[in-house]
Amino acid sequence: MSSKIYSVLIGGKAGEGVKKAAQIIANMAAKHGQYTFQSDDYQSLIKGGHNFSLLSIGNERIYNTYEKADLIISFDLRSVQRHLEDMAEHALHFCNEGDSGYPHVIPLPLVALMKEHYEGASNMMLSAVAIFAALSGITQACMQETIKTEFKRSQQENLAYACAIYAIIKERYPQPQLILTPAANPPAKIHSGNEMIALGAYASGLDFYYGYPMTPASSILHYLAKMRDSHKVYAIHAESELAAVNMAIGSAFAGRRSAVGSSGGGFALMQEGISLAGMVEAPLLCILSSRPGPATGVSTYTGQEDLHFALNQGHGEFARIVASPDCFERAFTLAAELLDLAWQCQSPAILLTEKFLSGSMLNVDLPVEDIHPFPQEETESTTPYQRYSITESGISPLRYPGADNCDEDDVIKWNSNEHLESGVRTDEASAIVAMRDKRNRKYELIAGATKRYQRVAKYGQGETIVFAYGSTALELREAQKHLPFLLVVPIYLEPFPFEELEEYKNVEVIVVEHASQPSFASFLIQKLNVKVKANILRYDGRHFHTEELIQKLREAIDA
Amino acid sequence: MRKLISSKENTWCIGCGNFGLFAAVRKAIQALHEAGTPMADIVMSAGIGCHGKIFDYLELCGIYGLHGRALATASGIQLANPKLKVIVFGGDGDSLGEGLEHTLFAAKRNIDLTLILHNNGNYGLTTGQTSPLSTPGFRGPTTPMGNVERPFTPITLMMEAGASFVARSYSAKIEHLSQIILQAIKHPGFSFVEVLQPCVSYNNTYQLYNEHCQIMDAIPQEEEEARKLAKSKEPIYLGIYRQESLPVYHKQIKVGGESLTLDQRKALLRSRS
Repeated sequence: MSSKIYSVLIGGKAGEGVKKAAQIIANMAAKHGQYTFQSDDYQSLIKGGHNFSLLSIGNERIYNTYEKADLIISFDLRSVQRHLEDMAEHALHFCNEGDSGYPHVIPLPLVALMKEHYEGASNMMLSAVAIFAALSGITQACMQETIKTEFKRSQQENLAYACAIYAIIKERYPQPQLILTPAANPPAKIHSGNEMIALGAYASGLDFYYGYPMTPASSILHYLAKMRDSHKVYAIHAESELAAVNMAIGSAFAGRRSAVGSSGGGFALMQEGISLAGMVEAPLLCILSSRPGPATGVSTYTGQEDLHFALNQGHGEFARIVASPDCFERAFTLAAELLDLAWQCQSPAILLTEKFLSGSMLNVDLPVEDIHPFPQEETESTTPYQRYSITESGISPLRYPGADNCDEDDVIKWNSNEHLESGVRTDEASAIVAMRDKRNRKYELIAGATKRYQRVAKYGQGETIVFAYGSTALELREAQKHLPFLLVVPIYLEPFPFEELEEYKNVEVIVVEHASQPSFASFLIQKLNVKVKANILRYDGRHFHTEELIQKLREAIDA
Repeated sequence: MRKLISSKENTWCIGCGNFGLFAAVRKAIQALHEAGTPMADIVMSAGIGCHGKIFDYLELCGIYGLHGRALATASGIQLANPKLKVIVFGGDGDSLGEGLEHTLFAAKRNIDLTLILHNNGNYGLTTGQTSPLSTPGFRGPTTPMGNVERPFTPITLMMEAGASFVARSYSAKIEHLSQIILQAIKHPGFSFVEVLQPCVSYNNTYQLYNEHCQIMDAIPQEEEEARKLAKSKEPIYLGIYRQESLPVYHKQIKVGGESLTLDQRKALLRSRS
């Protein structure tokens, strides 16, 4: 029996600070010993339209949102109308006086007070912060402290406005509507999935990140860009994804750990570059955060339609490592693992995720101590140094140019053409075979290397077996609080973790994914010959709310 | 000092302008090395085309990259190790067709590397198609009725993009070319060298260039003058068109120095929690 989740929904126009309001509330809740989970629904625009943020609060770990909210704060009429159906039993739905007239929606003088307290630019969104604080027994002092930290400007006006709203709510609801029972040791800081990925790669030695803004991967670029001076990591906004991937390979050639990130469209542009990484044997971490496609698709929403694309990056035959994090801690550790694997195996490694993980936020500790770097071996190389010397394992010793790094006579050549051991171009038949066989020997090494990491995650127990990958696992773990089933999540997709999943061969399973075609289910059939009892698909760009997922699982189980 | 010519069989056509260019490059590198730059610090990237074959003939470290992407690859190398002297070999298509954006942005950033553009007025290796630098009327496999487009003027294009060192030379003037290349490499910032290069198979401009090329006595003082001289067809002016000292990209973004150790990174991350 799980503890009660309190769900907050804030809705308004883009530019009004809807997401930030939810973040501030999450921060206050975390300070009071709560676990939080925030997911933002926003459109592809900068001002106007409709944005809403859903925040789940409770005193145990939360992995998803709930459709029915206990507290709704609508900044405009559109939000009021959109979310009339989203009220849980006994929910409180506040709106501005001008937008009232709907049953059960409580008008407050949000705009009137805003005009009273602000001269110029205002922060109406602070009303949401004040309402939540007043309803949950958070002291006015704590609310003021929080607001002062979050906003450097207009401090007096902000505090006056927030306190005015706080006072109104406190008067109407003298008893707290939400009791914040602190959990034992909840993590203090809130991170997004993208932040976890960025920090995990950083922990594993990332020096350069090359990217071009594309939702939902952009925040990795932004986040790392801010870390330049404090953490000595360089995020470069290149002129295009084509530039980014080639720059990343150039930096790897010179001995620095580098990565690229984008969504489906950006990766489509980087295909030749990823193929280059395969041919020149460049270590390269690639972060693919999916959104619905094809083409430009639905830019600010979530989807899992790129599975086959992720597994087949770059034309031609070469080994690729592909894995997808199932939770926030894994986003951190997997990014670190994949960067290490890329360098050990001199191959591209793809971290596949989606907007739901990339953009959602929760309080989580950085599993820094769970990072176990793989020591880069000092292998004997031939004299003279041959970049692509034929070896048993398929891995040729790596050296970097520069007087500080190699011998004066070393000629280190990486070649996008088929090449000899020296790196010089060739079209000789026997040379092609020799180099192809060498690169093919890497498959075995890669499979062995991935075994030192956790390749499959399992959660819960029950007769019913449910398979999913990526952040769909989060949705299912929240559903598990209300319905028992065994959740099996392959983290590594390529190489496929056969040993860990052997027991599911020919077994009946339910598969959940965010796509209109059951690609993941087909993939599992191909690998394990599972019997798919039901495909639970959602492909409208939204993640499953917990209630709906439970309903769909029940239907699938009972069928 | 190592031999700069590799043992790979040379497959440029006899009489190709690339031979002169190759000789000039070797001279420049030799001079650079004699002045104190370790050979291991001299790195190259090349794209795909007849120009790109220089990668296999030159005994230097480097990446033989994708068509059009030599500058992007080189930029990544340079940022990862700003001590390296990075030389990029590009052709008409590689630098001004497929890879135009990278060429313009390298200049825009003033990134510290040198682009040597093998301007032979066609796509030689793929059998002589029109290039962004072909003259109007040029007949090739993709323009059998004659090219209708006007060519770019590489010098003015690069000046407009913000290149801080812009020069032109000719593959048959090996001494002049090697001097220009050496100065280009030494110049801190983005250096662009257009090399007029006859293509004996598809665009034999030896006579044209021999008759009309003339070396300028000095760097043009004014922008307008430089542009006029760059566009002149009779004579075709060789020499340095611009040489300015401007902030260099890697210094502006504060790249350089040792990578933080894993322990240092972990410590920083622990203090975030």
